[in-house]
Amino acid sequence: MARISKFLNISLDPQTVKQWKRFRSIKRGYYSALILVFLLVLSCFAELLVNSRALIVSYEGEWYFPTYGWVIPGDTFGLDYDYETNYRELQQHFREQDEGDWVLMPLVPFDPFENDFSTTYGASAPSLATKHFLGTDKTGRDVLARLVYGFRIAMGFSIVLLVCSYIAGIAVGCAMGYWGGAFDLLFQRLIEIWNTIPFLYVIMIVASVVTPNFWTLVIVMVIFGWTAMTWNMRTSTYKEKAREYVNAARALGAGNTRVIGIHIIPNTISVIVTFIPFSIAGGVSALTALDYLGFGLPPPTPSWGELLRRGTQSLEHPWIVASVVIAIIIVLLMVTYIGEAIREAFDPKKFTYYE
Amino acid sequence: MKQIRTEDCRSWCQFLIFSGLLGFSLSGITEDETDSPSENQGNTDRRLETPAESVDLLPDELPSNLLWQTNDEDPEFASPNALRGGTFYTWMLSFPLTMRTVGPDSNGSFAGFLRPIQFGPIAFHPQTRRPIPMLATHWAIGDDGRSIYFRIHPDAKWSDGEPVTADDFVFALHFMRSKEIVAPWYNNYYSERVKDMKKYDELTYGVLGADAKPDVEMFANYAIGPRPEHFHNLTDSWVQDYNWRPEPTTGPYHVGTVEDGKFVELDRTENWWANDLRYVRNRFNPDKIRISVIRDENTAYLHFLNGEIDTFGLVIPEYWHDKTDHEVYKRGYVAKYWFYHRLPVPSAGMYLNTAKPLLDDVNIRYGLAHSINIERVIETVLRGDYERLPTFQLGFGAYDNSSIRPREFNVKKAAEYFKKAGFESRDRYGIRVKKDDAGTVIGRLSFTVTYGTPIHTDRLVVLKEEAKKAGVELKLELLDSSASFKKMREKKHQIAWLTWNSSGFSPRYWEHFHSKNANVTQSNNVTNTSIPEMDSLIMKFRASANLEERIGLAHTLEQMVHDHGAVIPTYQVPYTREAAWRWLELPEWLGTETSGSLFNSQATSQGYSSGGLFWINEDKKKEILAMKNKNEKMEALTVIDETYRVFPIAETDVEEGE
Repeated sequence: MARISKFLNISLDPQTVKQWKRFRSIKRGYYSALILVFLLVLSCFAELLVNSRALIVSYEGEWYFPTYGWVIPGDTFGLDYDYETNYRELQQHFREQDEGDWVLMPLVPFDPFENDFSTTYGASAPSLATKHFLGTDKTGRDVLARLVYGFRIAMGFSIVLLVCSYIAGIAVGCAMGYWGGAFDLLFQRLIEIWNTIPFLYVIMIVASVVTPNFWTLVIVMVIFGWTAMTWNMRTSTYKEKAREYVNAARALGAGNTRVIGIHIIPNTISVIVTFIPFSIAGGVSALTALDYLGFGLPPPTPSWGELLRRGTQSLEHPWIVASVVIAIIIVLLMVTYIGEAIREAFDPKKFTYYE
Repeated sequence: MKQIRTEDCRSWCQFLIFSGLLGFSLSGITEDETDSPSENQGNTDRRLETPAESVDLLPDELPSNLLWQTNDEDPEFASPNALRGGTFYTWMLSFPLTMRTVGPDSNGSFAGFLRPIQFGPIAFHPQTRRPIPMLATHWAIGDDGRSIYFRIHPDAKWSDGEPVTADDFVFALHFMRSKEIVAPWYNNYYSERVKDMKKYDELTYGVLGADAKPDVEMFANYAIGPRPEHFHNLTDSWVQDYNWRPEPTTGPYHVGTVEDGKFVELDRTENWWANDLRYVRNRFNPDKIRISVIRDENTAYLHFLNGEIDTFGLVIPEYWHDKTDHEVYKRGYVAKYWFYHRLPVPSAGMYLNTAKPLLDDVNIRYGLAHSINIERVIETVLRGDYERLPTFQLGFGAYDNSSIRPREFNVKKAAEYFKKAGFESRDRYGIRVKKDDAGTVIGRLSFTVTYGTPIHTDRLVVLKEEAKKAGVELKLELLDSSASFKKMREKKHQIAWLTWNSSGFSPRYWEHFHSKNANVTQSNNVTNTSIPEMDSLIMKFRASANLEERIGLAHTLEQMVHDHGAVIPTYQVPYTREAAWRWLELPEWLGTETSGSLFNSQATSQGYSSGGLFWINEDKKKEILAMKNKNEKMEALTVIDETYRVFPIAETDVEEGE
């Protein structure tokens, strides 16, 4: 952190530097954070690692990069069809022809949608030979590919959900704490009433009328999820509002927005940051649960919940359920470790269990 | 027709087991019987067809020129080796809400047990498909072609010992028309479709129907079962009073012990009047049928493997292939049966809404049909067990137009049709698009497929991937089953993936293809088909009482449906697959041509009297249970019976109707 700040030529608050050092000293959380960030970045380029489209095709001296961009029909490469090339077959074809053309496939040469029934009908077990490293599900789709893309969607979903519900929650919470009085009272009651609406039923109703997509799910979940953050922000704001620096800022003539935005929120950041990992874990498990119940993202979107459901329905193919359960456990554990470490780093009390 | 909502394994088994619910039983037309006005079909034209002043009553005296018929020459189909006795254990998903067979909540799955234990005056022979005597010994059709007269068997008795008389039959009509039963559908049906019933003497009565029909259809529509007049007291509180009071029955079983929330037992009626009837003897052998509530199918299967339930449906490929990999099968305690039958085939298909843009173009519809790779779904996800359904309606014997071949998956043919419709090129996702002269995209072959059965996702994802090859994008829209059906009946869908249940004795066109039902909500014409020539043929088909003419018309209509291309038929399952503990024994011939299920304890199934052929061998049961305790083996048994299999006609180059 110190090096980064030096490099960027900005001076960091010594408090932040201290927190960062403490975070780093909690190894479990620190390494979890590194791994998770690495996985997240990697999943952003999942198309280069897990895809049925080739990375590079060299055909008659020309190079093609099919990963991103237009569908390249089979006849481009001298095949007899005009739909998207099957690159695995093309690779085989070029090898047999042996005319110097070649295909470079990604590590896992399957996309999460295609049905590969080349070995068996129904689910096939993990195998290095077929390159289905975690096997396939009942419709011949690669489990690893669905896990990877499902991870990307779940994490993306959680982050979007987090940002949206935090913006609403923090704004309302701060306002309640800052203005207090009747405004606070009114909103407390409103939120209490709002919280009693059973969120799952609303989702079920929505899902029965329209097919939910990524954004409708985000919207519904934000509508019912933003309240969680308000209570914490309200109390923190109450606490901060009574401090001298707030009075000083007001005395200098700062308006409400400035006082809240520039002075109060940065001082409550530890509350917010501490909650983030747990909210992410909450988002992932909420989406997984909804998908598991069949109220989540529409088929055939790759998702962990859907994999879990398939897995539990066909326990005779244990690789499906095993892959997804292990993946969920690992990710949620990592997120929880990070959360613990952050909470610890922001805790003013120094000596605790973690050391 | 009613949509089969959960058409799959669960439902297929239930469809077979509870066929009384999905088809109709002769002891009383059920609400699924469809050639009838029903408020939700917008079908009111029938009322107009019968002028109010017409004399819709039976003659006061029994006509003297009646030709009384009976049937004692068709072969018996039950085994003389059958053993009487034992308890048959089966299951249901939930406890019934009532023991009534009409009125509120009476159309649940338990009705499938209750309705078939009431006999009708006649039933249909499961092999010859001709009428056979049940409660009636003789019958005669009146000169007007729409009245039938019956003579009741003098020994016929209710399970409470009261004799069955003509009054009970006449009372049935009064009962079904009465407001006290709170069943508007029945009230309507028995007022509109059945005009009169009259008693001539204690054992003779007549029924007058609304229209003349070919004779099989006459019986199917107008051979109404009796209701025990001595038992019912039609007051305003009838629905509550009779909620838990099971009606006396005329069939082999009556409701015995009921333990709330746990099970219902059907006991065999002692000294049952029909024990020695020609087509009934050696049938309905168990003394007791216990139907236990098991709220989950997987749990039920575990109960079955444990021997607590006697049979289990294995129609779903996953069950037949994977879930039978268990000791009880390998050690031979449980047998697997695969039995082909010939029953009306449920119309599973993709129904294209011709009122939507693009789908109004016949070239696009043909192109789509060639882009849908049903063959691959059958071969992979369905393990090759299902068969391609060549046309919309099938399984009605001579009515079937067997010359129709389905449009197979063929990217080249699809491309030709799409090009004809102006879809020349593909976009960056490989989907075909139509461009105007300036090169701007004005159409894209992207369609939403609406469906309501989550388990079908496996089939649709394969279709979706395959359709991309033809340049078609299919977006899957999975809704809750009732929401999806509602959407289809409101004609808001583009492509509907659904299965119509099929029953009765002839195909049905009016509700699915008549223009009267097109472009209106709440009708079953989900393709919005509206073709004037077809309308007139449909009306002719409905009005005709001449079998030959009807068959000819059905062939033409089926061809028109095919040529119109708004239905892409998918698959059919022309068999039942069941597992049964080996103490359940069957006749050598296993079942009949129309046996929807081999271990159906009920009297009728889809109108055919095919049930109750199996029996329980108590000695064998003890033996097998003893073997099971000692982990001993015997030879495993898998029976595949193809006696009634209809093999697809060899592929010939039949020209497309264009």
